[in-house]
Amino acid sequence: MKRGLVVLDHAEIPEDERAGRVAALQRRLPADGVDVALVYGDVYRSDDVGYLTNLCIYWNEGIVAVPATGDPVFLTKLSPRVHTWMRRTSNVEDLRSGKSFGPLVKELLAGREPGVVGLVEGRLWPATIVADLTAALPGWELRPLGGLVREQRLVPSEHELALLRDGAALMARATAQVTPPGPATAWVSAAERELRGGGYAEVLVDTATTRDGVASIEITGQYRYGWLRAARVVAGTDGPAWASALDTALRAAIGAARDGAPETDLSAAARPALAGLPDGSVHDVAWTNQADLATNGDFERHAGDMRLALGAVGAITIDVALPDGGRAVVADTVLVGEESAECLTKG
Amino acid sequence: MTRLLDGGATASPAGVVPAGGPPSAGDQAERDRRYRLIRSAMADQGLDALVAFAPGWRRENVRYLTDAPVRGSVALVLLPAAGEPVAFSVRRADAAAIIAGGWVTDAGVLELPEAAALTSRLADLAPKRVGVAHGELLPVVLADALRSAVPTAEIVSATALMDDVRLTKSTWEIARMRRSATVCEAGWRAFVDVLEPGLPEYRIVAEVESELKRLGAEDNFMLIASGGDEVRGMTPPGRRLLEDGDMVRTELTPQMDGYWLQICRSAVVGEPSDGQRRSFDLFNEAVDAGVSVVRPGVTAHEVAVAQNDVFRRHGYGEYCTSQYTRVRGHGHGLHLDETPIIEGNETVLPEGAVFIIHPNTFTPLAGYHVLGDPVVVTKTGAEILIGTERKLFSTSEERAS
Repeated sequence: MKRGLVVLDHAEIPEDERAGRVAALQRRLPADGVDVALVYGDVYRSDDVGYLTNLCIYWNEGIVAVPATGDPVFLTKLSPRVHTWMRRTSNVEDLRSGKSFGPLVKELLAGREPGVVGLVEGRLWPATIVADLTAALPGWELRPLGGLVREQRLVPSEHELALLRDGAALMARATAQVTPPGPATAWVSAAERELRGGGYAEVLVDTATTRDGVASIEITGQYRYGWLRAARVVAGTDGPAWASALDTALRAAIGAARDGAPETDLSAAARPALAGLPDGSVHDVAWTNQADLATNGDFERHAGDMRLALGAVGAITIDVALPDGGRAVVADTVLVGEESAECLTKG
Repeated sequence: MTRLLDGGATASPAGVVPAGGPPSAGDQAERDRRYRLIRSAMADQGLDALVAFAPGWRRENVRYLTDAPVRGSVALVLLPAAGEPVAFSVRRADAAAIIAGGWVTDAGVLELPEAAALTSRLADLAPKRVGVAHGELLPVVLADALRSAVPTAEIVSATALMDDVRLTKSTWEIARMRRSATVCEAGWRAFVDVLEPGLPEYRIVAEVESELKRLGAEDNFMLIASGGDEVRGMTPPGRRLLEDGDMVRTELTPQMDGYWLQICRSAVVGEPSDGQRRSFDLFNEAVDAGVSVVRPGVTAHEVAVAQNDVFRRHGYGEYCTSQYTRVRGHGHGLHLDETPIIEGNETVLPEGAVFIIHPNTFTPLAGYHVLGDPVVVTKTGAEILIGTERKLFSTSEERAS
């Protein structure tokens, strides 16, 4: 859960860039005929909210209301007692707390002529909140929108990339400590100290083992509002050959990550090195934009054809399910260039 | 039969059959106990099927039904009134983990937005009335899919049903929570050991997290606050540097084997002030008062009143209101914040209920103060689950000893 450093630092992201994020969203609203856009977040999935406000929903739920013109407002089920802290860590000044969102949004829109409220990524909103808003806003149309904020986050700005590089350096140091003999809890412990001690807000670690003694550790973490991932296998000197081939496959996939490349190019590049996996193994070679790493891309995985964009940062993950139930994972976070990708998390 | 279903996702070919093995006799008995309780409640409410929905931040009901950790953004278990349950997750690794756990042997990958693997199984049951635990959190895309699958069925919330079932912990569960208690104690020790002037708040958290994970904790929920009388509440950590005389407060809640347990303590960097000592005495008396009224059948309201009365008696009653604080404790289990211990909550706490008693609030004595112990309701009263001394810790005393 989110319990690492939360900070608003104008030296990292200038104030005008933060304001520009809101303005970019506002510029899109008239085209959709939207008077006010609402962006929902909860403790698990709140990066759109964080991007617009720098607010960390460390518990419960919140909504950022962005009018077509004017300043954003944050509506939350968190208590007013934490408003002081929120103001200290956010560019949003208007914070409103309540037990449910219907009355909060109703109060926000009081006095305005009914129009259109756009729900950013509306298909993923809790249906009960949509019903709550519908009941609270007679005369208003609630219109589901696509991932307007996510789209802004898919290619980082210069300042965002600088933060991602800082986070990647910490991640590289954390994974450098993944050395034999383990145990895995020692690697996890070291990663927590390295990453949270370096300022990560969130660290998610997954470990796995196989029956032939191959251990994996996958570390996914959030540094400010950017996400990074690295995963390593530890097989020891007498480990199976397929384990060492995983890193070869990952390097090949990274080599295929370039501007405009489809995700299938990564799989094709990795495939030869994965030929030696035990019979019956199943492997995935996945690209997950860092903007989607909080959820591992669970909601975007089936979005259809996806091509890598110049300047995008994301994780390339090779996840192997072995026929005996074991699992092995390797991953790195890369920056997509015109002809190749730069691996950010390999020290 | 152990099998891994596959929703047809191109990234998740079928055919993976993890080696899980059957659960032990004790685990089997616990699983059967849970399913019996849930099905009894389902019968009382006329439910033909129950769907336990786990979004990324509320996975307790899926854990309760599977005893398996899941990490996907969406996981569900479909439990019919009779017959075997089936589980789904958007991640293949979750399905494998569920099967390996042995409680649910039929698990598959859920492909969004259609969720066809789930909806077809639900439609096959032809239920008249379906309960959805955490249905309040179902995203539109899944709510629509469920409605389309059973267009004539009545769909109701089963969140309270599951909350009620999970309220009473079995001996099996309490044994797990005792492991959580051990990790709570170690986490607090790591917290105190690292405190020194000049250390930023977030580095404290890093050291505590590192220790908890070294001991095998799956996760941890932790809030912190440092400073003097001006501190009004608990938040994630910042860059603030500790100063001599600071009181550093934490709610520390590790999760072991699925079960969360919390310890609340405050420690002073250097020597405590008179106000900090008086504050501790007040809060300690309130915790004692809360513990003293615990017995099978006590209500959450009564436990809260016992604590708040101490504040009222000493002239600090206004600081028990929502302007200054949230709750006087809360239940623990597979969710870290189960039934609230608060005036007005008439939930009956039976033998086996586990919750923390913490009168955490602001007072002018020393700012926000946190102090609390997790307890389990026994036949005769309360058993405090942690061995950490309840005192105002100070680094000067700790270093001296």
